[in-house]
Amino acid sequence: MDSRVMKCERCGREATVHLSERVDEARHEAHLCGKCARRAGIEAPEAPGTPLLESLVDQLITRHVGELVGELSRTSCSLCGVTFMEFRVDGQLGCPHDYEAFAKGLPPLLWKAHGATRHVGKVPRHAGLRPVGTGLKTRSELRKAIALEDYEQAARLRDRLRQEEDHAS
Amino acid sequence: MNLDELSRTSGEWLRGDGPESDIVMCSRIRLARNLADFPFSGRASKGEKADVERAVRTTIDRAGLRLTYYSLMDVDQLDRQMLVERQLISRELAAGDGPRGVAIGHEENASIMVNEEDHLRIQVMHSGFSLGDVWERINRLDDDLEERLGYAFSPQLGYLTACPTNVGTGIRVGVLLHLPALVHTKQIEKVFRALHKINLTVRGLYGEGTQADGDFYQISNQQTLGKSERELIRNLSEVVPQILSYERQARKEMINQRRQVLHDQVSRAYGLLKTAQTISSSETMLLLSSVRLGINLGLIDDLEIPTVNELFIHTQPAHLQKLHGSPLEVDERNIARAAFLRRRLANGKSTGPEVEE
Repeated sequence: MDSRVMKCERCGREATVHLSERVDEARHEAHLCGKCARRAGIEAPEAPGTPLLESLVDQLITRHVGELVGELSRTSCSLCGVTFMEFRVDGQLGCPHDYEAFAKGLPPLLWKAHGATRHVGKVPRHAGLRPVGTGLKTRSELRKAIALEDYEQAARLRDRLRQEEDHAS
Repeated sequence: MNLDELSRTSGEWLRGDGPESDIVMCSRIRLARNLADFPFSGRASKGEKADVERAVRTTIDRAGLRLTYYSLMDVDQLDRQMLVERQLISRELAAGDGPRGVAIGHEENASIMVNEEDHLRIQVMHSGFSLGDVWERINRLDDDLEERLGYAFSPQLGYLTACPTNVGTGIRVGVLLHLPALVHTKQIEKVFRALHKINLTVRGLYGEGTQADGDFYQISNQQTLGKSERELIRNLSEVVPQILSYERQARKEMINQRRQVLHDQVSRAYGLLKTAQTISSSETMLLLSSVRLGINLGLIDDLEIPTVNELFIHTQPAHLQKLHGSPLEVDERNIARAAFLRRRLANGKSTGPEVEE
């Protein structure tokens, strides 16, 4: 056998499956033959001509983050309409309520960015006097009413917003 | 004060006093805040942005904050660029659309951007190394605003921001440092690498993604969640003196080992600035940096630091055009810049910005 050919770490046959991942600063590599890879739970397709890499990538994604991404990608905020996928694409959330709507997807990202998931520090003196989202909800209803051309409802909602604002200040 | 007057003055943060002001140009803190009842600016309709703007303006008036509000819808492109050059607004706010603006305080120490990425970006800057004072001031300002504005806040995640990289305290603590000797002795990269390792960011004078001009670097925190404002301020405050000592050490070595060469270099830079007939913005920054170093090392004695600090800002494109009173093409700007420099440097000690020929 050509000495440049990678050998399977488990059985010494020619390795056809090469995996690498980075954990913190260290890079881990694994080289396996098709048989050992299947035994390890990585299903490399036997049939020749199948794009091996693509299917492997798909499987790895599903295995590690698949369900989460699948479920989350369909999650959207009921108030502003932004989906988790949209947020992941441009990095911007749509409204304060998104932090609740995406409560499952955000912690790993917060951990990665800050090494923490809980606030420590200043608390506004008036925090909690008024539930977050009251005005957001009314505004979201207002947007819907305008989209449906229900102008009577829109006028009612505008009044309500004005009252809420007066009340707040 | 209208914006034309503003262009002829300069902010307190350029005054060149305060602790360690030979290296620390200014200390700055910004807080990102959002109103609980509105979508974030990027998702808000024109009407909603107008409502946010109105709420903030009303609050500023009622709280008696001594800030002047400028709606950017009424400010032309040149004036917007001038505000960017003065560090009062971001490029993003200048280039944005819809209802948005900035409230600017006396002496330009404080500014509040409205409808940037977050509804409010509050900023306070002071000349020199004085993060403690800056925090006292911005904390009070934030309290005053919070009395009347319903901030988006969650007990677990803190102040909620459009981008989760700012959530929690929403704070960015920064210092603007002049580090010519570390650049000259090629040690600056090493310093940057060390800073990155402890989660601090380095930017140029004009914000993210721009090349550092005039050997000025802004160093600030990245983490905003999980550490208190005071801790984050303390972290940065502990690191800055180390950078200062590296810069001072590098300056000492430069002057001990090659005083003559350095003196020559600094004098030539000064000479060029005083006599050039046409000069680009980047060459100006480079030469001003040399001159600033020269003053601090006692190699130039007829020019004062505040004058040099101001020139870094007043020779920027929008400022030159404001001073000139009409738009200028690049070539015309280079000529106008050289003329302005000759005028201002004719007598280093007594040149007020309003002294015109």
